[in-house]
Amino acid sequence: MIKVKNVSKYFPTRFGPKYVLKNLDFQIPDDRDVAILGINGSGKSTLLRMLGGIDFPSYGRIVSDRFISWPLALSSGFQRHMSGRENVRFVCRIHGVRDTADIEEYVKDFSELGKSFELPVGDYSSGMRAKYSFAVSMGFDFDTYLIDEITAVGDVAFRRKCKTALQEKRGTANVIMVSHEEAILKEQCNAAILLAYGRAEFYESIDRALYRYRNL
Amino acid sequence: MMSVFVSLLSLRGMGSYGYSDPAVFILAGYVPFRLLWQATMKKNMSALGGAMGLLGFRQVRLFDVFLARTVVEGGVFLVTALLLVLGLYWLGIDAMPHNPLGTLRHLAELWLFAASFGILACVLAQIAQEIEQVISMLTMPLLFVSGVIFPMSAIPYQYHSIFAVNPLVHGIELIRENWLPMYVSPIADEKYLLAWIVITLALAVTGYRLRWQRMIAA
Repeated sequence: MIKVKNVSKYFPTRFGPKYVLKNLDFQIPDDRDVAILGINGSGKSTLLRMLGGIDFPSYGRIVSDRFISWPLALSSGFQRHMSGRENVRFVCRIHGVRDTADIEEYVKDFSELGKSFELPVGDYSSGMRAKYSFAVSMGFDFDTYLIDEITAVGDVAFRRKCKTALQEKRGTANVIMVSHEEAILKEQCNAAILLAYGRAEFYESIDRALYRYRNL
Repeated sequence: MMSVFVSLLSLRGMGSYGYSDPAVFILAGYVPFRLLWQATMKKNMSALGGAMGLLGFRQVRLFDVFLARTVVEGGVFLVTALLLVLGLYWLGIDAMPHNPLGTLRHLAELWLFAASFGILACVLAQIAQEIEQVISMLTMPLLFVSGVIFPMSAIPYQYHSIFAVNPLVHGIELIRENWLPMYVSPIADEKYLLAWIVITLALAVTGYRLRWQRMIAA
């Protein structure tokens, strides 16, 4: 259960604080895969970053006992001059995994990078980097995966692979996803949070949420 | 850069003001200034830009980046200085610090001062970007007014109080006093340097604590 308790977030601007989210109060159940919907600038990514613990609410708290992944975005943070393998080791260590060999091999295998796995991440093409960062996150057994518009990258074969990998994790994990592609959301999610006018509404049905979203 | 200074001092005749071999004189002044002060300070100042990617993991906080960079720069200095001492020993010059423990202590003070100044600069640069450029511009003049390539004993007495305002002078002079066997600094005052360290460190950690969430949001 992720509890969002009375969370507000503003960004300081020269016209004073600009509230993106105001007094959000909801809970995300463990057994639902949640889509976050909203127009551009409605705070979808901010909410996801706050759930991922790399951004912080101005007021309120987010409480959870789940093992939550970092937000998987296109520009996921890896050290550019370190090789793919070294980055995996780093990520393992900050997540408390001491024996990194298994995850290294899993990522190498899953990302289909081959020899490039030993080259600096900064030299990867954007497609390679997307594959790589998705593979790294799949190497861990998170309770909740935060996904920010990343499933739409890569070639068709890799996309299918991502889908099956996510499907396999479904038994133990759930997904919170930001995306503009309704087809993906419909397929992956069975609940939704609609962000509009600085408020959040929790929908038990993705179709109803999408209907509301289209008519915003 | 170091060899340029060494050859300049040597060309000047018995340079280094008779306190030691020119190379040792430069080793005791320029190397700490360059690696401990300049590098540590600059790395901390630019910590935010370089490590933005790592902050995408919730386990990594900005302070970890400061800590890591400070430790790395300290290590780089230790290794470099050791190699230079060994290299000079190989050439037949005894460059070992005359008072090793005292030298290490003052090196640590300079290092801590650099780290706290760097963190403070990083916090302030989030408020006004230009601060970073101003500080970068100041590093070259600071090299000349901090008594790195000449000792304070070479400065006329009436200007001592002006030079003594700069805390780096005290750091460099204290290191030199403990490193070189003969040198006694006319102005070095450890309490003054410590006061600067405490104040800068306090401002740095306070500023960090007040601003860190906003710093990483940018």
